Amino acid sequence: MNTVNETIEIAVPVRTAYDQWTQFKSFPRFMTVVKRVEQVKPNVTTWVIGVGPVCREFEAEIVEQEPDTRVAWRSLERRPSHRGEVSFRPTAEGSTSVSLRLEVEPRGVAGALTVVPGLTRRVVRAELGHFKEYIEGLGEAGGSWRGTIRHGHVRPAEAEPPRSQVPCWPVG
Amino acid sequence: MNKPPGEEPQDELTVTPPKTWAAGVPAVVHALEYSLQQTSPLKTGVDLLTMNQVGGIDCPGCAWADPSPGHRHRNEYCENGAKHINDEATTRRITADFFREHSVSELSRQSDMWLNQQGRLTEPMVKRPESDHYEPISWNDAFGLLSAELTSLDTPDEAVFYTSGRAGNEAAFVLQLFARALGTNNLPDCSNMCHESSGFALHETLGTGKGTVSLHDLHHADLIFLVGQNPGTNHPRQLSALEQAKLNGARVIAVNTLPEAGLLRFKNPQKARGVIGRGVQIADRFLHIRAGGDLALFQALNRLLLEAEDTRPGQVLHHDFIGSSTSGFEEFSAHARALSWDDMLTATGLTRKEIEKVHDDVLRSERVVVCWAMGVTQHKHGVPTIREIVNFLMLRGNLGRAGTGACPVRGHSNVQGDRSMGIWEQMPDIFLDALQREFGFDPPRAHGLDSVNSIRAMREGRIKFFLALAGNFVRAAPDSEVTEAAMRNCRLTAHISTKLNRSHTVCGRTALILPTLGRTERDIQAGGEQFVTVENSMSEVHTSHGRLRPASKLLLSEVAILCRLARRTLDGRADIPWEQFEADYGTIRDRISRIVPGLHDFNRRVARPGGIQLPNPVNEGVFPTATGKAMFTRNAWEMPHLPEGHLLLQTLRSHDQWNTIPYTPNDRYRGIHGSRRVVLVNPADLRELGLAEGQHVDLVGVWTDDAERRAQDFEVVPYPTSRGCAAAYYPETQVLVPLDSVADISNQPTSKGIVVRLEPAPARPSTPPG
Repeated sequence: MNTVNETIEIAVPVRTAYDQWTQFKSFPRFMTVVKRVEQVKPNVTTWVIGVGPVCREFEAEIVEQEPDTRVAWRSLERRPSHRGEVSFRPTAEGSTSVSLRLEVEPRGVAGALTVVPGLTRRVVRAELGHFKEYIEGLGEAGGSWRGTIRHGHVRPAEAEPPRSQVPCWPVG
Repeated sequence: MNKPPGEEPQDELTVTPPKTWAAGVPAVVHALEYSLQQTSPLKTGVDLLTMNQVGGIDCPGCAWADPSPGHRHRNEYCENGAKHINDEATTRRITADFFREHSVSELSRQSDMWLNQQGRLTEPMVKRPESDHYEPISWNDAFGLLSAELTSLDTPDEAVFYTSGRAGNEAAFVLQLFARALGTNNLPDCSNMCHESSGFALHETLGTGKGTVSLHDLHHADLIFLVGQNPGTNHPRQLSALEQAKLNGARVIAVNTLPEAGLLRFKNPQKARGVIGRGVQIADRFLHIRAGGDLALFQALNRLLLEAEDTRPGQVLHHDFIGSSTSGFEEFSAHARALSWDDMLTATGLTRKEIEKVHDDVLRSERVVVCWAMGVTQHKHGVPTIREIVNFLMLRGNLGRAGTGACPVRGHSNVQGDRSMGIWEQMPDIFLDALQREFGFDPPRAHGLDSVNSIRAMREGRIKFFLALAGNFVRAAPDSEVTEAAMRNCRLTAHISTKLNRSHTVCGRTALILPTLGRTERDIQAGGEQFVTVENSMSEVHTSHGRLRPASKLLLSEVAILCRLARRTLDGRADIPWEQFEADYGTIRDRISRIVPGLHDFNRRVARPGGIQLPNPVNEGVFPTATGKAMFTRNAWEMPHLPEGHLLLQTLRSHDQWNTIPYTPNDRYRGIHGSRRVVLVNPADLRELGLAEGQHVDLVGVWTDDAERRAQDFEVVPYPTSRGCAAAYYPETQVLVPLDSVADISNQPTSKGIVVRLEPAPARPSTPPG
């Protein structure tokens, strides 16, 4: 198990930082290794990541999500090859301390990152830096998702979120 | 390409051991063999290489979801899909000469297979009341005849508009709009006969009638149940998803009355391990259950889970989910704990040890998916069975999480989409209000007729006019003799069809054949080339573009036929631009986007690769039920009473068959060749009944009325069906399914639970072909 802990302070309010983090599909705009993200459901995303010539696709399940507090995920293999958590903490100065913890098994998709010693840490640090640069530069989040996820189950922020408004009558 | 058969094939039955694996190289060989019998190598190539691809033809064969764009195989189809699409792309043609040579009475004595093999319908035909022959009619006169009949009805409720799941979203939307603008909700569909029980059960308990599972969930499940379904024949591309799940480490439990080949092992013909290797084992555990015993099985599993929680509090049930997202747990729990093990074991035909092993599998699994099909829905207690499956999933929080959920596996390619478009006799006010706002007419609010109630009304003379948008209603419906008499009782019947089937030969006093474009064919209208959209079983809405030259210049698309009929009949009665709809299907989708929730910005979004994924409220944490939460239910069952010497019969399809249409008389996975008039019976039951292998018997249905339902001259084949359960092919045995034998709540015919006795067949001059 390769564990990485990185923290960065971002000069935007915690809500801004958190909201931007929930916009996973925008990650390729500012992250280097993230090539494409699809949000299958609120709690499932597919990622294409690439480092140098290595490009891999994986699916991730968000198992815990608390607005303005944290997002915890794991890769969706039977034995997850990595799991991670990003947490958001307001600072006294009105900024946000963003901490990312990543646990990577030396196998599977994420294992590719562990081939080069120290690479995972360098990548995480650089990408957090890109996130900081992006959201500080924009000052406002490009969107938000304010629901909660507990034990993998979604709890919406509103009674009838737009995505739940679909044909619900019986289908034979 | 071969010529169509002139005579009915008269093969002898041969029986070989059932296969223990599905697909592999033989699937490729059989698919190509049938395709090349029907059409040219070029058309076969165009069809197959564009099938289920982005911008290509959506396979009309089944409703299984396609992998995401970029993850599809070059050959993204199965044996049965290839056969089906080339059955439509056949170069055989039916012209006016054919109908001059063959009277309607003569055609009504031909088999389903023979009728289908005659080729594509090419021009509109009419059978007039005094005639026994179809004769050509111009489109203009055909619409005149239809609209005159419709406008002469005492009430619009004397008309019925049936939809088969082949119809695309645009045609389905136009049909329901026409029917409602005319003034009726009589909109039966094929869903009424296949997954209606699923829709009612899921809607009641989860607030949505659709499955909650995507291919992603199947790929990442730890445990998958396949209950009452035969993926090897009816949804072969599901086997690829199961193969992926198995390679990811999933376990599979198959629950069925027959050990179907596709449940046991899959040889993927696109992988080396499937061509030269042993393939992938599908079922880790096979439960040889009695027909209709699935409810008792899930009740037993639920009881075991509740008891395991007693032993290890807080470690078995998902209390957080149950507490926050469900209602009715206490009542359900008390009910489940009081169930009798003796009753549950009798109903399932399983041992307690077998069920406990499954329970152990469940406890070891963090993510569980339950798939089911008509082996579950077509029982009297189909709705309670699915409600109990929902109970089972909820106990351990297996809903809404990644790798979990409820997966009704639907058959027809757009059966789910047609319902989204409003093809239902009980549409809610939210939909009807939207129609009213959009088109400025008052849609009827009284519920209309479903399939079973339509037949009853036709039999009683309350329906004068029957129009079918695709399908083969006469053969798909139960109680064949009753249904046929009901059809003949109509003043006018009309079918929008690509190929000939029995529903054209068992018809009203006036009958029309309205030949239409197939899904494979280019659809060019005044507004240019068109495409249609469909929704698969996993709620993905995407396009289908026909690629082939139409079978005849005189074919009209389904949308064009319906728009022209509506324009002629309604004559400006509602503010509906039928001409514009026909010219440009995008204008229909614009209207749909304002009426059907979730399809906003339809035209733009559906054009994207992969189309639109309609969310499922359950996966958004929303349960639009009566309680606002997912509902636990208490479910009861009553197994059909089997008098001594009787068996419980289920109807099923052969491998060489698409819905009501057999392609050949063979069923190679089950080892049946040369004849479909067979009844599969457990050898021990045969001994008890004093019957011998190869003996010819009549299947005689037992029901509460006095009518005799007899399917004549079936050959007995010993087969590893569950004890007390027999199986025979659909639609030949539809004659045995009483019209009034329906599932509680859903009104779905109980084609998997028919009490029959087997009587030695008397000597008869000839065997009926049907």
